[in-house]
Amino acid sequence: MADRPYGLIATFATPGAVLRAAAQVRDAGYKQWDCITPFPVHGLDSAMGVGRSRVPRISLVGGITGFCTGMSMIWFMDRFDYPLTVGGKPFFSPLFAFPVSYELTILFTAFATIGGMFVLNGLPMHHHPVLHYEHIRRGTDDLFFIVIERADPRFNLETTRSLLARAGGTDIAELAP
Amino acid sequence: MKKPDTTKALWIGLAGIALTALGIRVSGAHVVATAWLVGLGFWSAVAIGMLMMILIHHIFDASWSTVLRRQYEHGVAAFPWLLLMFLPLVAASFVGSHDLVWPWMNPDHQIAGGHLVKEDLLYLKKRAFLNLPLFVFVTIGFFALWIWISARLRKASFSQDADGDVKWTRMNGKTAGFGIPIVAVTLTAGAIYWFKSLEYHWFSTMYGVWYFANCMRGALACGVLIMLWLYDRGDFRGILKTDHLWAIGQLMLTFTVFWAYISFSQYFLIWNANVPEETFWYNIREYGDWWYVSLFLVFGNFLLPFLLLLSYRYKVSHAAIRRIACLILFVIFVDITYNILPALQDAKGNPQPFLSMNLLWAATSVVGVGGVCIAAYLRSLPTTKLIPIRDPRIGECLSHHE
Repeated sequence: MADRPYGLIATFATPGAVLRAAAQVRDAGYKQWDCITPFPVHGLDSAMGVGRSRVPRISLVGGITGFCTGMSMIWFMDRFDYPLTVGGKPFFSPLFAFPVSYELTILFTAFATIGGMFVLNGLPMHHHPVLHYEHIRRGTDDLFFIVIERADPRFNLETTRSLLARAGGTDIAELAP
Repeated sequence: MKKPDTTKALWIGLAGIALTALGIRVSGAHVVATAWLVGLGFWSAVAIGMLMMILIHHIFDASWSTVLRRQYEHGVAAFPWLLLMFLPLVAASFVGSHDLVWPWMNPDHQIAGGHLVKEDLLYLKKRAFLNLPLFVFVTIGFFALWIWISARLRKASFSQDADGDVKWTRMNGKTAGFGIPIVAVTLTAGAIYWFKSLEYHWFSTMYGVWYFANCMRGALACGVLIMLWLYDRGDFRGILKTDHLWAIGQLMLTFTVFWAYISFSQYFLIWNANVPEETFWYNIREYGDWWYVSLFLVFGNFLLPFLLLLSYRYKVSHAAIRRIACLILFVIFVDITYNILPALQDAKGNPQPFLSMNLLWAATSVVGVGGVCIAAYLRSLPTTKLIPIRDPRIGECLSHHE
């Protein structure tokens, strides 16, 4: 157990310290790691090298699917399945199919956004090894942590520990798996 | 900051006005006066949109737009000049047969089918609204209200630069409370009087909201261009953040969708009901090359800016958002042209083509009115601090972050 930890956790006292340390961890090439802060720290995303969320792409796919669903559904029903003459209008026109289509666009976009968010962020997650750490609650109060996971290909107990120490981290500890 | 050069804008404006005036000799006063309405409609939309943006900023006690708001406060300095440039059309309604621009002002104006306006049932029904005294009173009154509300907002904001008193912010909150309904009603009635009544037979309850959509789009696009211009001059270095552009880009996307929603609903309801009093308006806009203008409105006015503005990168890249803002200003011009110019009809009652000298005079009018409006903005710009330095929200604005 002890020789196969989940990862290493280091403590930082100020937002500035964790911001500078995050940039060093990013520049060292780590990918499987995270920062734990009691509040959103401006600029941390770029210091960690985190890009923008990929959820909007999933939303776009959902929206296009919704629009096409609405249009093709009404086209099929009114043109082939059950053609009705209403108010002298043609059996199918994109005009009257439009309100339904854009409502399905919105609906499917919402589904894709919510669903895509849960798929990408891995929630709901009922337990995480970080919660074993005895001081983790102070990460919601007045301390800042950086956690580097063993799953990262660059992870090495000695070099990762010395990187965190050089970046200004204190109380560097191994997390139980 | 370096004082901007107002004379260049003013000369461009005067050149545009002179060219438009020359158009009277080429195309006649009726055509040029109607084209002049396009220029007034376009820049009034931008100014009204700026006024609305200030009021909405205050009613929500917003923080991100504090820096942008100061530029809009300079932009609404154009209202007195817009009124001045509107007065020739008001004056023209008093001379000759009164129908230089609006046919309903002349009871003996002959409408399609050989009837006179005074015998026309729809005119008689609408006469309580469509009459010359009310038109003059309302036109001058609306501009007076906009000038008054702008002056209140400007005075409070500029005074706060000097003394930092929070009472000015409270005063602006109150102005926003009564200002939003006033501006909403006046811009609706103004749009109906000036543009919709060109074809007074028509009915549309969407019309005021349509104009409001263009007001907001115009103000947002001009806001982007102003902020990027100040950034390129060096004034906004360290002030304009990526997230400001992101926020204003989101609003541009919102009002692009809003415009499409309003315009589609107007078309859809008329198409669905299929009543001749309403459909004729769209029928003449499908005649000749106006059909392609209609299609351009669907794809150029909605679909293209919509797809471009979905992208985060395009919203925050200076080069991209500047082009999108220019595109939106262009499509607003086409949209206002589409609403006004088909009122110019040939002897058979068909609209004169879109690609004609009429379009040229509409374009020179936009340059003419625009040059004067931009000069009014530039003249106001150096009279105050660049940003409202003592606004209670200025700190939040300068550190605005998603």
